[in-house]
Amino acid sequence: MIQVEHISKAFGAIQALDDISFQAPNGLITGLLGPNGAGKTTCLRILYTVLKADTGTARVDGFDTRRQILDVQQRIGVLPDSTGLYPRLTARENIRYYGNLHGHRGAPLEAKIDHLIKLLDMQDIADRRTEGFSTGQRVKVAIARALVHDPPNILLDEPTSGLDVMSTRAMRSFIRRLRDEGKCVLFTSHIMQEVAALCEQIIILNKGKVVASGAPEALLTETGRTNLEEAFVAAIGSSEGLE
Amino acid sequence: MKLSHAFRRIGVIFAKEAIDNLRDRRSIFTALTSTLIGPVLLLVMIVIVGRTFNQEGLTTSFRLPVIGAENATSLIAYLEQNGVKIVPGPANPQQAVKNGDEDLVLIIPEEYGEDFSQGLPATIQIVIDTSRQSSQPAIERIRQLLNTYSAQIASLRLLARGISPAVIQPLAVERVDMATPETQALIFLNILPYFVILVVFMGGMYVIIDTTAGERERNSLEPLLINPVPRWEMVIGKLVASWPFAVAALFINLLAFSLAFNYFPLEDYLGVQIQLDVRALTGIFFISLPMIVLASALQMIIATFTRSFKEAQTYVGFLPLIPALPGIGLAFLPIKPSLWTMLIPSFGQQILINQFLRSEPIAWGNVLISTLTTIVLSILLIFVAIRLYSSERILGSAK
Repeated sequence: MIQVEHISKAFGAIQALDDISFQAPNGLITGLLGPNGAGKTTCLRILYTVLKADTGTARVDGFDTRRQILDVQQRIGVLPDSTGLYPRLTARENIRYYGNLHGHRGAPLEAKIDHLIKLLDMQDIADRRTEGFSTGQRVKVAIARALVHDPPNILLDEPTSGLDVMSTRAMRSFIRRLRDEGKCVLFTSHIMQEVAALCEQIIILNKGKVVASGAPEALLTETGRTNLEEAFVAAIGSSEGLE
Repeated sequence: MKLSHAFRRIGVIFAKEAIDNLRDRRSIFTALTSTLIGPVLLLVMIVIVGRTFNQEGLTTSFRLPVIGAENATSLIAYLEQNGVKIVPGPANPQQAVKNGDEDLVLIIPEEYGEDFSQGLPATIQIVIDTSRQSSQPAIERIRQLLNTYSAQIASLRLLARGISPAVIQPLAVERVDMATPETQALIFLNILPYFVILVVFMGGMYVIIDTTAGERERNSLEPLLINPVPRWEMVIGKLVASWPFAVAALFINLLAFSLAFNYFPLEDYLGVQIQLDVRALTGIFFISLPMIVLASALQMIIATFTRSFKEAQTYVGFLPLIPALPGIGLAFLPIKPSLWTMLIPSFGQQILINQFLRSEPIAWGNVLISTLTTIVLSILLIFVAIRLYSSERILGSAK
């Protein structure tokens, strides 16, 4: 469960986020949709504690992202924009490192790693050093290490960027699977179709503000359009930044 | 309870960084080469420069090019009696000395005989180049011979006039030279502390850069920071991971120096064998340990605000020059250990290392002061590193 209340963040003269509020409940997929530079990544970074909001509060399962950092970090699994791995460690060692950092060890951790490796269908690469992995392989490792501590809240920053069609489909069914397990899933995208295909709830960001939010059907009624893409364009006021 | 969790997490980071860097050929290669530069360079210097110090070669075969030897037969005879081999001088003596073909050339003009027999100062010229270090022993030797000859003739002339030669010798200067062959050879040891500092700084350098600037460059920093680990624990884990590399480098370095001094036939080049005993080496090892902490903290700060691996490498590479400067000065200006020198981290250690090398008595108070100031400064620097690591800007240009 993620709650964002009146968050603002400025970098110098640039107002990246301007009084943002929304909620992402458990068991739902929430999509943060917006053109490039709308503030999606900044918003996620505040939620996963590497940035601090200037004003407003953000909570994960009731824990304040500014003051209860470790509690928040224990309850989130994040696929950030940068998914760098350690090239001299194998995929399994990369995942195990994150498990260890979360305080997990021994047989239960190894079982969890095996489970994730099977789930993400990466048995063939699990014990290879990650140097030279393809984007798809890297994302798999990054997802596995983000979920190794079984977090109830999952934040994904453009999870399908750079993936081919098959990997994108696999990613989508994986995200649905997480939702079915009752997790709170929040992901960002600038691709309309992706959000339409996955989300039960959409929050449209533009220039640091929430310009529309709700279930896809509700967005259609609200903007008086017949498809989501037009609703999106209507919401942000122009087709600038769309792909 | 909290602290044991912190130690466990620091241990996780330490273990990962150590294993990761042990698999990195670059880290290992740098650590190893930096340890061997010093001993190898020192041996090369001794082999090349050592001959200059070795006076033996001069007495046996000392040749002197002379122009106009026929003008001063008695002087030439005197020189030959004293083991100088007279050879005809080159056509252009100035050019020959300038080019380094000859160390020096003696020119005896035609008027020499006439002036000499009239009792006037008879002019002779030696063509030399004082800027060439290797010519100095030959020049010094020929000057001594000429002075002695001149004094002898003067005494004879005074005696012939019934005056005691002692009249013109108001001072009788006796040289009591305390320099033994050992102390002369110790000049080479002055440079050793500098190499030790170099190794202290180079040994863990790549680990620090790799775990900081390298982490950011390969985009693995941001995901790492999302883990439930306080930033100070990350800084400590990464710092400590560099220490075994630096300690191992220091150990190998001292071992190589000990092999060079104790087993290489230095006597052939210096005329004396320098000994580095286990006590001195152990002392140097422990004196240098706090500097490893200092070096890693300094490197961490620099690597934290540089944007890329390359940039970090450039700046961090310059670091060992700072503590090296007083060390180089030390090679020329012997400075006595005192309170103010001990209060300067790395400088105090270099003086103490020098004392160990010379088997001088060590004031343990000095060891304590220099170790404490180094550790206090290190702790301050580690705080700065943690502050830098805790700021939002740590993510830098990584988007």
